[in-house]
Amino acid sequence: MSSVAVGIFSGMLMGIVFGFALEKSRVFEPGIIVGQMQLRNWIMLKVFLAAVATGALVLAFLNGFGIVKLQPKATLYAADIVGGLILGAGISLAGACPGTTLAQIGVGYRDAIFTLIGGLFGAVAFSYAEPWLSKSLIGTGPKLIFTDLVNIPYWQGALALAAAIVVILVLMEKARPWRDDLGSDVDGDLAEKVTQPPSRLVPAE
Amino acid sequence: MSPFDKAWSPYAAGILIGLLQIPAFLIIETALGASSSYVTVGAAIAGLVDPSLLKIEYAAKHVAANAKNYWQVALVGGIAVGAFASMKMSGAVRASISPIWAKALGSPSANLRYAVAFVAGFLMLFGARIADGCTSGHGLSGMAQLSVGSTIAVAAMFAGGIATASLLLRRI
Repeated sequence: MSSVAVGIFSGMLMGIVFGFALEKSRVFEPGIIVGQMQLRNWIMLKVFLAAVATGALVLAFLNGFGIVKLQPKATLYAADIVGGLILGAGISLAGACPGTTLAQIGVGYRDAIFTLIGGLFGAVAFSYAEPWLSKSLIGTGPKLIFTDLVNIPYWQGALALAAAIVVILVLMEKARPWRDDLGSDVDGDLAEKVTQPPSRLVPAE
Repeated sequence: MSPFDKAWSPYAAGILIGLLQIPAFLIIETALGASSSYVTVGAAIAGLVDPSLLKIEYAAKHVAANAKNYWQVALVGGIAVGAFASMKMSGAVRASISPIWAKALGSPSANLRYAVAFVAGFLMLFGARIADGCTSGHGLSGMAQLSVGSTIAVAAMFAGGIATASLLLRRI
């Protein structure tokens, strides 16, 4: 593994690219995230699926040619379900996820500072509870990936996933073009569109 | 797709985010993730007040001075810088609280929003640490790696998110 200095430097650069993409796509906006969870805005799912498909493609290549090892997390059924449900409830109430909270702070959303502080308290509370939770709920599990279950190489499954996602995204885009989900201003607030004249429907460029 | 645009397509942004897996795997030998960094920073701060916290293996593992821990802290810090830079380059202007919250919470009170945000942040990280990952670690990285556990976690995340946004928040 690299040195701490290399880690911090590369992390900062990668984070800047990440934050730039989050702001440009508006996926970090509370209006976009709550809108997705209320099933009336589809930008979050589109960014998410495009990133998953791209990640699957690059890992099919990097892993298929033996350049990198996969780093899947252990499959922990109870923890994945219970933790996922709590995390999802938090995402809707925050209008953010742990990463996009920082993008919200970057653009000056004041409530995101409270999300961040709450998140730090949550992480510390979990650390105190971890010795007990790991015994009672989390446990241990195998690092299962779907292609191992059907005995095919990872890269084949990854390419199939990427292809399936491309088909889904094409259909989603036909059903609802992404520009319709941007809202009338930069904050991803769709509701204004209803009361405004059609000329304002064109998203700001 | 210029850095001065106010909006990029979700596909362009998603592809750029997905490509970040390349340096993550090659340089740090890990996948993109965000929620562990809250343990690193939170436990480092809380450890100043209560040093016994750092005797818990889980906390000690996350504050250890290795590339992976501090890479992720730098990554989430960089996210704030990148979002700020993007906003300044496009000239976008935002209110200090998103206008959707007055509708979603049924009240324009900033203090109510701050309280909800604090609780939300707590739930997010407590849940993410139980599941061992968040939207990035389980979502982007776990699904791309075809992880069974991550797929279950993402399904639960959306189920919890949709139920909460439908039952506890008003339509925005």
